[in-house]
Amino acid sequence: MASRKEGTGSSAASSSSTTGAAGKGKGKGGSGDSAVKQVQIDGLVVLKIIKHYQEEGQGTEVVQGVLLGLVVEDRLEITNCFPFPQHTEDDADFDEVQYQMEMMRSLRHVNIDHLHVGWYQSTYYGSFVTRALLDSQFSYQHAIEESVVLIYDPIKTAQGSLSLKAYRLTPKLMEVCKEKDFSPEALKKGNITFEHMFEEVPIVIKNSHLINVLMWELEKKSAVADKHELLSLASSNHLGKTLQLLMDRVDEMSQDIVKYNTYMRNTSKQQQQKHQYQQRRQQENMQRQSRGEPPLPEEDLSKLFKPHQPPARMDSLLIAGSQINTYCQNIKEFTAQNLGKLFMAQALQEYNN
Amino acid sequence: MSRFFTTGSDSESESSLSGEELVTKPVGGNYGKQPLLLSEDEEDTKRVVRSAKDKRFEELTNLIRTIRNAMKIRDVTKCLEEFELLGKAYGKAKSIVDKEGVPRFYIRILADLEDYLNELWEDKEGKKKMNKNNAKALSTLRQKIRKYNRDFESHITNYKQNPEQSADEDAEKNEEDSEGSSDEDEDDDGVTAAAFLKKKSEVPSGESRKFLKKEDEDEDSEDSEDSEAWDTSSTSSDSDSEEEEGKQTVLASRFLKKAPTTEEDKKAAEKKREDKAKKKHDRKSRRPDEEEEDNEGGEWERVRGGVPLVKEKPKMFAKGTEITHAVVIKKLNEILQARGKKGTDRAAQIELLQLLVQIASENNLGEGVIVKIKFNIIASLYDYNPNLATYMKPEMWQKCLDCINELMDILFANPNIFVGENILEESENLHNADQPLRVRGCILTLVERMDEEFTKIMQNTDPHSQEYVEHLKDEAQVCAIIERVQRYLEEKGTTEEICRVYLRRILHTYYKFDYKAHQRQLTPPEGSSKSEQDQAENEGEDSAVLMERLCKYIYAKDRTDRIRTCAILCHIYHHALHSRWYQARDLMLMSHLQDNIQHADPPVQILYNRTMVQLGICAFRQGLTKDAHNALLDIQSSGRAKELLGQGLLLRSLQERNQEQEKVERRRQVPFHLHINLELLECVYLVSAMLLEIPYMAAHESDARRRMISKQFHHQLRVGERQPLLGPPESMREHVVAASKAMKMGDWKTCHSFIINEKMNGKVWDLFPEADKVRTMLVRKIQEESLRTYLFTYSSVYDSISMETLSDMFELDLPTVHSIISKMIINEELMASLDQPTQTVVMHRTEPTAQQNLALQLAEKLGSLVENNERVFDHKQGTYGGYFRGECSHPLFALRILAPFLPLHWLSPPPLPISLLQTRKTATGKMRATCAEVATASSSLRRPTDGLISVPSALDHSPFRSNHTALKVCH
Repeated sequence: MASRKEGTGSSAASSSSTTGAAGKGKGKGGSGDSAVKQVQIDGLVVLKIIKHYQEEGQGTEVVQGVLLGLVVEDRLEITNCFPFPQHTEDDADFDEVQYQMEMMRSLRHVNIDHLHVGWYQSTYYGSFVTRALLDSQFSYQHAIEESVVLIYDPIKTAQGSLSLKAYRLTPKLMEVCKEKDFSPEALKKGNITFEHMFEEVPIVIKNSHLINVLMWELEKKSAVADKHELLSLASSNHLGKTLQLLMDRVDEMSQDIVKYNTYMRNTSKQQQQKHQYQQRRQQENMQRQSRGEPPLPEEDLSKLFKPHQPPARMDSLLIAGSQINTYCQNIKEFTAQNLGKLFMAQALQEYNN
Repeated sequence: MSRFFTTGSDSESESSLSGEELVTKPVGGNYGKQPLLLSEDEEDTKRVVRSAKDKRFEELTNLIRTIRNAMKIRDVTKCLEEFELLGKAYGKAKSIVDKEGVPRFYIRILADLEDYLNELWEDKEGKKKMNKNNAKALSTLRQKIRKYNRDFESHITNYKQNPEQSADEDAEKNEEDSEGSSDEDEDDDGVTAAAFLKKKSEVPSGESRKFLKKEDEDEDSEDSEDSEAWDTSSTSSDSDSEEEEGKQTVLASRFLKKAPTTEEDKKAAEKKREDKAKKKHDRKSRRPDEEEEDNEGGEWERVRGGVPLVKEKPKMFAKGTEITHAVVIKKLNEILQARGKKGTDRAAQIELLQLLVQIASENNLGEGVIVKIKFNIIASLYDYNPNLATYMKPEMWQKCLDCINELMDILFANPNIFVGENILEESENLHNADQPLRVRGCILTLVERMDEEFTKIMQNTDPHSQEYVEHLKDEAQVCAIIERVQRYLEEKGTTEEICRVYLRRILHTYYKFDYKAHQRQLTPPEGSSKSEQDQAENEGEDSAVLMERLCKYIYAKDRTDRIRTCAILCHIYHHALHSRWYQARDLMLMSHLQDNIQHADPPVQILYNRTMVQLGICAFRQGLTKDAHNALLDIQSSGRAKELLGQGLLLRSLQERNQEQEKVERRRQVPFHLHINLELLECVYLVSAMLLEIPYMAAHESDARRRMISKQFHHQLRVGERQPLLGPPESMREHVVAASKAMKMGDWKTCHSFIINEKMNGKVWDLFPEADKVRTMLVRKIQEESLRTYLFTYSSVYDSISMETLSDMFELDLPTVHSIISKMIINEELMASLDQPTQTVVMHRTEPTAQQNLALQLAEKLGSLVENNERVFDHKQGTYGGYFRGECSHPLFALRILAPFLPLHWLSPPPLPISLLQTRKTATGKMRATCAEVATASSSLRRPTDGLISVPSALDHSPFRSNHTALKVCH
């Protein structure tokens, strides 16, 4: 998956030479730490993403697609999108880059914005923070500075509230990713914590006036559909699922910490040995000096004590920080909403009695 | 070997044994003695076969001759070449040389060659004259031969000391050897033949030397033949005569030595020839007599194709011989001596023995002798198959059975015959009628062997063929014989023997279901009208009583552990087979066999496995699923039930074991009619596992540390789940899996229909002797366990449930439902109480809900996470920088993970004071508290699932009750 993303990213790079200039201008005008302050999504895009998931995604499978649009001042306007075709086993030699180029060319012919500004992905119970996402978003952002990733949560949406979020990597994380060094030291230097990995960009859904007018008209004509989903109290399933996922991540985190712990112990042990060795060598040299003998030749300490490979921290960072954080936020939101609902129900009950 | 030849040994070789025999006569070996004996027409017989020895030696002699020739013409180069070849040829002949000793002619050439070379070496002038090649070859050859001769030093010195003698011996020895090897058929009379040959060989050696050239043509072909033989075999005589150096003396001396005698020799030879002819004639005339003498009337037949079968037949007694005990016994011993020897025809031997019996009985030699011979007949019948793996042919088997029966008849008829292994050959009393007859031999061993043969026959017959049925019919005979032996030994045998025969009897009884006894049990005895006698009679037939009696005797008297172990196992098996579960179990437990069965030999272990399986099946029939499961667990969980029960080999392990092992394992297989149905076994296991596991699973649905009762059952469930398309069940396993699924939902009717239906009846249940009883038991079990499962699974959605409803749902009567629920409550499996007046079960709802469970687990995990994290923090405490510094190691990090739950605190009055100053320890404690809060929160969230109506009560109760829970958790 990551490779596919990278491919897309590089292909997008060539096609976005024109946006590059505009983006740069934008960046200078902006606050400096981020090129995009706001994402404005066309209603069409939202509908297309939802439709895409409903047609092709099910269960834990995710759907992905390309976002098209342009940057206006510090606002990224997403005006259109198209899905990636579902990957199947039999057409392994299917050229996605070719497909994307082809798609964009065709869209340009019908006068649609054909500039690549990011990608979208559906998610299963909010578990989208993965290494793959990080890698592909990095390559996107590396090639097209202003690109975002839209995360669509179909399950939450089914419960009555549209859940669509736009994320970007923070400049700090971009730098670290550019270095490709995920050792503890590098992360420390980059001052990366789980809070500073992704930034959420506010979303505005905008429809053209014509469509608004149409909506009004439709609303008048058709009876108002009751929105029962929002008030549904049966939601323990959702909570349970999220807790389960959260638990899994905590397990992973635990393992990771144990691994890190062992690494630390090993390193410090080695450090001690090294120290001892050096001391012994020093003493011997002193003795030799007093005896008038030449000192022992210096030996390469790194050869004697091979430093242990420090475990890569990026995965744990992703798990710990972002994914657990996301889950927690989900639960928080969810429980808050549900408590509200419960009190409402109680009030209703009392009123009825 | 044969009497015939023994008598004819002095007349040795005459025309009668010409023909084929001549063909086999090797060429190299006949140093002139042949022509003496052969008549004219046989002279140009083809010589086809030569022994390896002759071939090699001929090769050597040829080479030697060339070397000698080369020596004569002083061609040292040629000598060198030939010498090298000779060395090689000698190497090839090594194996023969090892056997025969170094041939003299070889030593001779080595010695001569060395002398010759030394001579040449000394001869300076000759050397000068020599051409370059020759000179070079000379030095090489000299060195070589020096080196080579070092190995033969002793031989050469020996030769040099008395060359003539060794030469003589050489010739003679060769002759002897070749003679010995040439007529193998006559090796019995080797001594006389050799002696004779020696005499003969002296004649031609003289003759050939002296008369070779002078004798005219009519001096028979034998001489030319002779000379030819000499030519080819050793240093030829003509070369001798021409030879000038070295050898001269040797030959001369030999020549001289023989010379004076030759005249006489020749006469003697002629005389001998005449003698022979006379003897031959005698023989011829004698033969018809012999033929007449053959008392069995067996015609003297020519040896045909080397089949000794017929040849042996006439070997009975000479006519007129008074057939006495001594003669018969002698004959018997004679026959027996051939037993086990390589060339013996076993079939013929059996025939002979039977003939002997006939003679013995015809001549009224008494039962002792007949018994003795019979023993031997049976023994030779067993011996008939040289291979342990092959089994007896049906006719042999039948013969064997008959023979044993006859033997038993005799033994029963003559109580004064004592048979025993411990009777020595010397102390046997076969004919003295005054004293009790004593015969060596063990009837028990014979019967045991017979039983083994029977097993072997059954093992080697295709169990699905008519043949198998035919063989199986013999089982009755085998049993009858064993019974007879038992009766016999009960009178005469030692306790040890009785134990052994009892075990045989038990082994033939334990696996048979006693239908008669079963029937009798079903129909209670018609009042007590039956007389005591009748009952006693019945008891005799009842296998249970029989087993009891036999086994008890063995328990009491046996001193070898193995017989007792086997008897116990068989006894248990028999109990289990007849559904006497408690007896079977008690016996098994009392015997402590489980502790040390692994030290037993494989057949006993197989018996043990069979017993365990039968025990398990018995427990199942009694409705004791747990016991059934435990008994079958070991066998079934290994997945090698087939192998463990000795009912077949697994293909998988074929590569692991070699041929030998496989043969051994094959021999251990249990015959097909003793097999336990593997499908039945598996089905019983799976169904009992289902009855145990499904309620257990339901009870521990959310328990993270739930363990499995039966791995195999879970495996089957998983296999069932993996099926992409679920059709109606076909195999037994699929039926059980489908039934398990139904049971999980508490749907006992579907479960019932999956477990008991036409297919399953045919496959499994009808195999039980009391199928209907088992089925009723099974239905009842299914109902009960389904009820339990239902209560476990759905208790959380009920506030209370009427027992009557339950009783209707599961078609169980109220007391049963009551007892089941009471049991569950007592075992703390179900948090509820019984409301007597309304006959309802009131749920207490103290079990945590799914969410609460999850929250609790999460809290636990977070706890360990924090601990680990603290360790990291302890570790580096400023020394080593890392990612977690100041951020994650801080206790607040853990709280941050739980941040989403924090807003819930407004439900509980005191908000959590969180400050950065808190020590880590308290923070951890706090975090635990927070986790408890999570549990609280989720408990309050649980209720809404039930619908709006129940909300108020949930809200009323949950904070307080859950606080209670939380407290529990905190502690």
